[in-house]
Amino acid sequence: MVPEIESEVLEVRGERYLQSNESMFTFYKRTKGEFSPYFLALKERKVILGAKCPKCKLVRVPPFVLFCPECDFEPIELVEMPDTGVMNSTPPVTYFAHSLFEHQVPFGRGRVLLDGADTALPIHVYTTKGVLTPRIFRRGTRVKVIFRENRVGKPTDIFAVPIAEIPREKQNVRGLQESALDWESPVEPELPTPDVEAKKIYHSTLLQLKKMASLVAQSERAQKDLAGWKRRINVKTSGGCFTLLIDDGKLDVQEGEVKGPDFIMVAKHPAIFSDWMSFRDSLTNAIIAERLWISLNREFTTVFKLDRLPRSIKRTGQ
Amino acid sequence: MREVAIIGTGITPCKGRWIERTYYGLAQMAVKAAVGDAKISIKDVDAVAYGIYNDIFELSAIPEHPLQGIIGMANKPGMRITSGGATGSYTMMTAYTWVASGLYDIVLALGVEKATDCFDFQSRTSTPEVIKTIGWSGDTFFERELGWTASDSYAEVVLAYMDEHPGDLKDEVSAKIAEILCEQVQNNPYAQRYGEKVTAEMAMNSRYIVYPLKLLETCVYTEGAGAVIFASADKARAICKNAGHPIIWVTGVGAANEASVAGRDERHKIMHRILSDHLAAKAAYKMAGIRDPLKQIQVIELHDAFIKQLQITMAEMGFVPLGHADDLIDKGLMAPGGPILVNPSGGLTYGGHFVGGSNMFSCWSACRELTNRNMERALVHGTGSTVAQYGVVMILERGS
Repeated sequence: MVPEIESEVLEVRGERYLQSNESMFTFYKRTKGEFSPYFLALKERKVILGAKCPKCKLVRVPPFVLFCPECDFEPIELVEMPDTGVMNSTPPVTYFAHSLFEHQVPFGRGRVLLDGADTALPIHVYTTKGVLTPRIFRRGTRVKVIFRENRVGKPTDIFAVPIAEIPREKQNVRGLQESALDWESPVEPELPTPDVEAKKIYHSTLLQLKKMASLVAQSERAQKDLAGWKRRINVKTSGGCFTLLIDDGKLDVQEGEVKGPDFIMVAKHPAIFSDWMSFRDSLTNAIIAERLWISLNREFTTVFKLDRLPRSIKRTGQ
Repeated sequence: MREVAIIGTGITPCKGRWIERTYYGLAQMAVKAAVGDAKISIKDVDAVAYGIYNDIFELSAIPEHPLQGIIGMANKPGMRITSGGATGSYTMMTAYTWVASGLYDIVLALGVEKATDCFDFQSRTSTPEVIKTIGWSGDTFFERELGWTASDSYAEVVLAYMDEHPGDLKDEVSAKIAEILCEQVQNNPYAQRYGEKVTAEMAMNSRYIVYPLKLLETCVYTEGAGAVIFASADKARAICKNAGHPIIWVTGVGAANEASVAGRDERHKIMHRILSDHLAAKAAYKMAGIRDPLKQIQVIELHDAFIKQLQITMAEMGFVPLGHADDLIDKGLMAPGGPILVNPSGGLTYGGHFVGGSNMFSCWSACRELTNRNMERALVHGTGSTVAQYGVVMILERGS
């Protein structure tokens, strides 16, 4: 997207400089060439193929070679692979993505050594247990490859889930699709019984939150952060519960819970929210550190919007 | 092979954005500075190797072609090198090789990058578009569509190292290194973060770019240019005598590119290693006759894309054992007064990272330290591509 204004003048130390809006892009009809059998097998048969060298028996997944470079370019054979394996190493989890991937966050990009494979398959990793954090997948975590409902012959047609999250009767089903898994009822982390100190912080945090909601009403920038967004969020903390209501640019905070929220947040301590409002920490960092949990991975987008609010309010005041 | 020396270096100031210059102008500024340092004319230079990493940054598929004439190299050989983050190092290696082979006597290595012209109109900032642009560097069939970025690919290596060596790469240690680099950058007026104050506590509390890499422990995006001039021994002696500065000999060069696909053994990428750095250093040490790098090298200019990667690279290059990278701080090796000076320029984290020329920036700093502090030997390192696939090491020695 290039705005209509084609150029502008910037001034640096009294000198004027011209700057113009430009772009660089190319469209493709790109062949998958020798990788076609692999991507077609994902798309049409829900099968993962590997490339086996008949001489050294090395199995490469995905099948990224036509010939084995270790065996004087011996032609490889395509073989069907199991859809289970282990994480080759702890995968990174992306929370801040650029414009092409921002709708997917948070996502993990890992590598799975399928059973019998010698190379690791690059793959997205997800959990059915709420928001994705860096500690869910580790080196050696046993996983199963799951197939998307709508497959187009791309690496995103599949993703891996810890096999421990899959019901036992489904663990051996080949070509298991995402609809066969329960994504909507993760188990909430347990909170300790509220003590006097936590209750005290809860009440002061609630007051701060209500003040923040009123500041959002005065900040055009903060309203923009929440524009076009509607969410009812039950927030449970070790000091008590409250509800965050986002309604197209407005924020409201109420004590207690509402029925049928869009998603649930569980905070180990109510101070997470006062730290967020006073720039000491972000909600994203709290999620990464597993001090804050949300019930639906896709609702990280809401967290990302909330994380912008303190800064937007501060900038309004400047 | 002939002996080769560095006779002149020059860089531009490192800036997050150069509104006042295009990459043409930045290239001219660096070349002018380098020939000025050597006190020679550009007419004395026989050939040029260009380091420009990414076509999209420069909005051109042959970004070096306009530079040939405007840097005074018309009608002479010129070749562009692009090798990800290691572009600058591979460019200098090419210039070195042209001289060592006897093909040319004086060769210019010029690195330049104009990254933050890229702009994300949605967020009204450059950074997301710069990340997106670099994102076109990942494997395009199996990985890019999974959201590959430079940061998450280096995070993969760091996380795998932490799998293998739990307890190493403590956050407190990498934060302390950030503080040291920020202190050192105050001696480099060309640096992007010159004048900034970052403490270990600030680094510790900075947000994650991608776990476990934090903002203040991550290289900056920079626009700038750097130039290094290589010459044969006889030319170098005469030129350096005339210029009145010591000859900096290139006594070792090594490079290695690993496979990009991860696997069970060294035929593929071993994710918890940066074998490229290990093999590059090993080859450079052999060539330079270095048996104990900790005792024989005093200055290290290391390509610190991320501080935890700096620590792993230091281990891979033999300054600390693998699994004990925290010794860099815990045993005071790179602390002020320690036996090694690591990134006196501030490194790429605090000095600047204009990708095609960052390693020239490192080389400029290494030469400056050898000359000004009268030190004997320096190491210049470059890393690049997905999962730290590429590694290049150059050993420099101060002559008379």
